[in-house]
Amino acid sequence: MGKSVRASRRWARIFVGLCAAGLTTMAAAQSLSHGPDPMFHDKFEGVAAGPYTDSDAARFLAQATFGPTDTDIAHLRAIGYQAWLDEQFAATPTYEITGQTAYLNWVSNTLNEQIGQDNRFEAWLLGAIGGPDPKTNSLIHTDQLRQRVAFALSEILVVSDQNTRLGDSPQALAWYYDILIGNAFGNYRDLLGQVTLSPAMGVYLNMLGNRRADLYNNVHPDENYAREVNQLFSIGLVMLNPDGTPQLSGGQPVPTYLQNAITNFAHVLTGWNWASCDADGRDNFIGCDTQYQAPGDSLTPMLAYETRPPAQPIEPYFDFNYHDNGMHEDDTANKQLLAYPGAAGGGLLIDGGTAAGDLAFALDNIFNHPNVGPFISKQLIQRLVTSNPSPAYVQRVAAMFDNNGSNVRGDLKTVVKTILLDPEARLGQWHDADTFGKLREPLIVLTHFWRAMHAVHHCGQNIAAIGTPGTPGYSPPTSYANQPYRYAGYGTGWRTNGTQWGGVAQAALDADTVFNFFKPSFIPAGEMTTRGLRGPEFQMQTDSIVAHISNTIHGMTLNGEFDVNDACGGGDTFGDIMIDHAQDIALAASAAGGGADNLVDEYNKRFMSGQMSPFMRNNLLVYLNTITSSDGADWKQQRAMNALYMILASPEYMIQK
Amino acid sequence: MRPDRRKFIQQTIRAALGGVGACSALGHMHLLQAAARTNYAFGDYKALVCVYLYGGNDSFNTIVPISGAARTAYDDTRPTGTGLIGLTPGSLNSLTHPTGSNAGSPGDNSQYGLHQNMPELATLFNTGKAAIVANVGTLVRPTSQQDAWDAMYNGSSFPLPPQLFSHSDQTAYWQSSPPSNAPLSGWGGRIADLLTSANPAGVPIMTSVGGDDIFTRGQTAAGYAMNPGSATTLNFLEWGGANGSCAPGGGWDPNQIAAFCNLFAAGTQANALERTFAASMNHSIGTAGVINAAIAAANADATAAGIPGKFPNPGGYDLDAQLCTVAQLIWAAANNQGGLNGLHRQVFFVNAGGFDTHSDQLAQHPDLLTLLSKSLKGFYDALALVGLQDKATAFTASDFGRTMTGNNGGTDHGWGSHHFVVGGAVQGGKFYGNGIGATPITDPQDGLVYGTVMPSLFDPATTWGTPSPNKNDAGDGYGRIIPTTAVDQYAGTLAKWFGLTDGDITTIFPSLANFNTKYLGFV
Repeated sequence: MGKSVRASRRWARIFVGLCAAGLTTMAAAQSLSHGPDPMFHDKFEGVAAGPYTDSDAARFLAQATFGPTDTDIAHLRAIGYQAWLDEQFAATPTYEITGQTAYLNWVSNTLNEQIGQDNRFEAWLLGAIGGPDPKTNSLIHTDQLRQRVAFALSEILVVSDQNTRLGDSPQALAWYYDILIGNAFGNYRDLLGQVTLSPAMGVYLNMLGNRRADLYNNVHPDENYAREVNQLFSIGLVMLNPDGTPQLSGGQPVPTYLQNAITNFAHVLTGWNWASCDADGRDNFIGCDTQYQAPGDSLTPMLAYETRPPAQPIEPYFDFNYHDNGMHEDDTANKQLLAYPGAAGGGLLIDGGTAAGDLAFALDNIFNHPNVGPFISKQLIQRLVTSNPSPAYVQRVAAMFDNNGSNVRGDLKTVVKTILLDPEARLGQWHDADTFGKLREPLIVLTHFWRAMHAVHHCGQNIAAIGTPGTPGYSPPTSYANQPYRYAGYGTGWRTNGTQWGGVAQAALDADTVFNFFKPSFIPAGEMTTRGLRGPEFQMQTDSIVAHISNTIHGMTLNGEFDVNDACGGGDTFGDIMIDHAQDIALAASAAGGGADNLVDEYNKRFMSGQMSPFMRNNLLVYLNTITSSDGADWKQQRAMNALYMILASPEYMIQK
Repeated sequence: MRPDRRKFIQQTIRAALGGVGACSALGHMHLLQAAARTNYAFGDYKALVCVYLYGGNDSFNTIVPISGAARTAYDDTRPTGTGLIGLTPGSLNSLTHPTGSNAGSPGDNSQYGLHQNMPELATLFNTGKAAIVANVGTLVRPTSQQDAWDAMYNGSSFPLPPQLFSHSDQTAYWQSSPPSNAPLSGWGGRIADLLTSANPAGVPIMTSVGGDDIFTRGQTAAGYAMNPGSATTLNFLEWGGANGSCAPGGGWDPNQIAAFCNLFAAGTQANALERTFAASMNHSIGTAGVINAAIAAANADATAAGIPGKFPNPGGYDLDAQLCTVAQLIWAAANNQGGLNGLHRQVFFVNAGGFDTHSDQLAQHPDLLTLLSKSLKGFYDALALVGLQDKATAFTASDFGRTMTGNNGGTDHGWGSHHFVVGGAVQGGKFYGNGIGATPITDPQDGLVYGTVMPSLFDPATTWGTPSPNKNDAGDGYGRIIPTTAVDQYAGTLAKWFGLTDGDITTIFPSLANFNTKYLGFV
């Protein structure tokens, strides 16, 4: 070797030279390993200078994109992690509704369709699947890492279309998601500020319309956002060490705040509402809702209502200032927020401020709490890389959150880069083979499948408008004919959250509660409970859902329902997202003796990052090689379809390592 | 020298309660397998059904005073008007209940009714098939206003359930009632664990329909989480002719079935998460057939086929569809149908969401209560149709109650709340509670009574930082009512009906020892 191995990189020492090419089938199947072969690297240092193999590249892309493709693997091999990351940081963001070229604006302004949750799913899929833009095909959407990080953020800073009002406002949800996209490589403090004032979050956690106390009517400021912005979006419930482990006092965790802090925050977070509540010159703050809200308000930050509107009769006992700044008799004076070493003003919010100024103080107070780095960093690691990161890994990332090297706190770009280039992310699978990894989220299984199999939208019709816009009975046009990049369809794109007919029970901004589809702390029953291993994604995989997801995959692979070579049914109004099995036909029997080895090895690279165990490989080949020309003219396609299902449904695939 | 068997089980159950290191849990699990369990044997069948209301139901607008001192307090605390949340007495469904100091009276010289949208549940109550358990909530030990105030605002060491107004923590506490903050089992699961000997192996003792949570998490008892209507089977095994099974040799192409199933062979995977995923799939495959056979038998039986008709939308996903499936499974188990032969005790979990009414409460809450009322009535009627109404007891539970005071048209997270228990075995038509034995206090100034079965709803304006004169109020001005009945007492009463011994009940509800009354008498 000749190169010295630094003591800190102890996992580099465990590399044993097992030639990567030596994946020969062994005589006795029982002796085949159920774990991936360790890979041989000739460079022990500088993991961040890789990738050195296709497997390295694919593993990285599984963590940094919505699923590796052959093209992406080759490209990453050619330019290396650093250059790839730089490309990604520079790539044009794919927005849902922000900017002229955003998908929903094209749908609405050019196609004259109405914006609904269905085409909000399409907009999301365009970012997640990538590829040519449906309006301007020469524009290729490549911002995979930004989209993946935004999705991870959407599972921490949760809003959901399961809220009735938000279900009726896809625009507000799309604009909210654009905040996550726009700030994915920005600063967490900016993200917090924009999320807080977004109407979607205002509706979801009740800060919108929250007002100072009115003790005569026994009205108090609502605590929902005050509680969740602390509990879920920043510091969590217990004090953390820099490595994410809980601090203990007398063997018990230490709470980050007492109830009175939440009450005080609730009083600060008052006075904000839709931007147009008082546009008619009257005070409509109380009960300001759809009848006062202009259509553009869903895409506008909330406004502070603390100035008496003009021409308004004066009430003797109540001002039309809805923000609690400590000056009104029902207000809370001198609010004590979070106290921690270095907190500005000791966390004491002095009276007499403005709504915006007080909000900034409160969010700064939260943002600068020492918990934020480990609390957020650990969850981002869990969303991208592994469910049980070592405390040392968490600490390395949290340290970058605290200070990115240029004295900036909260720099998400540096945090993301640190997460992905850390030795534990790049090599953890080999060091902790039994416990490293995470259960793939069902939605990302879907996007991986579609990306890797070059899925396009197929079939569908153009339906003319019925009636005149603005009159009863009007039905807007829909345009789904010859739209390969509109990722739509009842069986596929629009029902990703379906639990009965298709779907994987998951979609962006679609969780049942503010606690996302699963909690970061969830521990599945059985062995992982005994060993104290977290598996957040297991929480949504109940007995029915786990079978249902497998059935959805079955329908898209072995059952072959969604193949681009199929004829379109006459009544197929909207089409569906479909793949092309035929692309892999050439590999199905091309190995010596007509075996399916090349097919399995290709799928190993494309789907399993080269980590398919010898046992699994042999198991698949034994069966696939029984499919021959006597099984029909499409026997090679049958091999591909079987391989796809058995791989995508398998435990070895479902755990991203 | 071997410690005795009961200590093994106790230690293991305590390990399951969490707050103990993984190492000792592992050690005790081995001991549990070695030790024999308490041997329960029942000749009859019973089902316990947890109806969980996610978000924290506003029970103060569900069970509402019509007249009397409580109505006066309600009017004062919850005025009616724009952006306010009070309900008028004329809108309520009257309840017929004992009064004065008679057993089963709310104890506050007031008359109560149910929300306008709950006539069905009112009928159940008035015909003695439903009871109200008042002011239940998470408590470690009896808690006075001073205790709560000191702990919440002055950081005293008085033990309160951790994170009192946090959804996730209170949900965990309600469903597991542990002494720690990180439960590894629910109390439904612990009950099922203890009753393993009363049931046959290989059939699910616990079933969650429409969602899964920690209530039905045990250490050894088998649970099954399904969508309403039917258990989802694996199409690959069904359509491959393998009858939904991975048994070797099955299917039209046994090699194909084997190729898939080999990858799921139990315990063979080289990664703990892979093994867990494989176990999930195997469990799903193994149990779906049993469940579906039971539901099919219910649909085929002349009488039981009428069960779905008792519910508004049995084909959907909501609470009523979930309870429909539960009723069918209860029928099958009680009649040894499908694969559910020989089951004597079963625990079910169903749920409804949307109760976190921070705003628009008067617009949102009624529909939620309609669903709850029709679902519980439908469940009772469905079981009565097949003569099993005495065999199942359904009980509601929720993260917490809500604040008596409002905020811009809604309410915030509270603490104590009232709950319903429904079934033929229930001593219905009565109010139960005050299990901690709080002494009623009559305020000399206003003559209002505090601390009876139903808590006082009075919330006079107090100076900021001063506890409310209403001793039921935790004192921070939001009208958060301190529970006078602990979840443990509520759960212990149900466990007693279910057939557990006093000793086992004390083991699985450690905090119960802090309360003088174990059983509240409603069933």
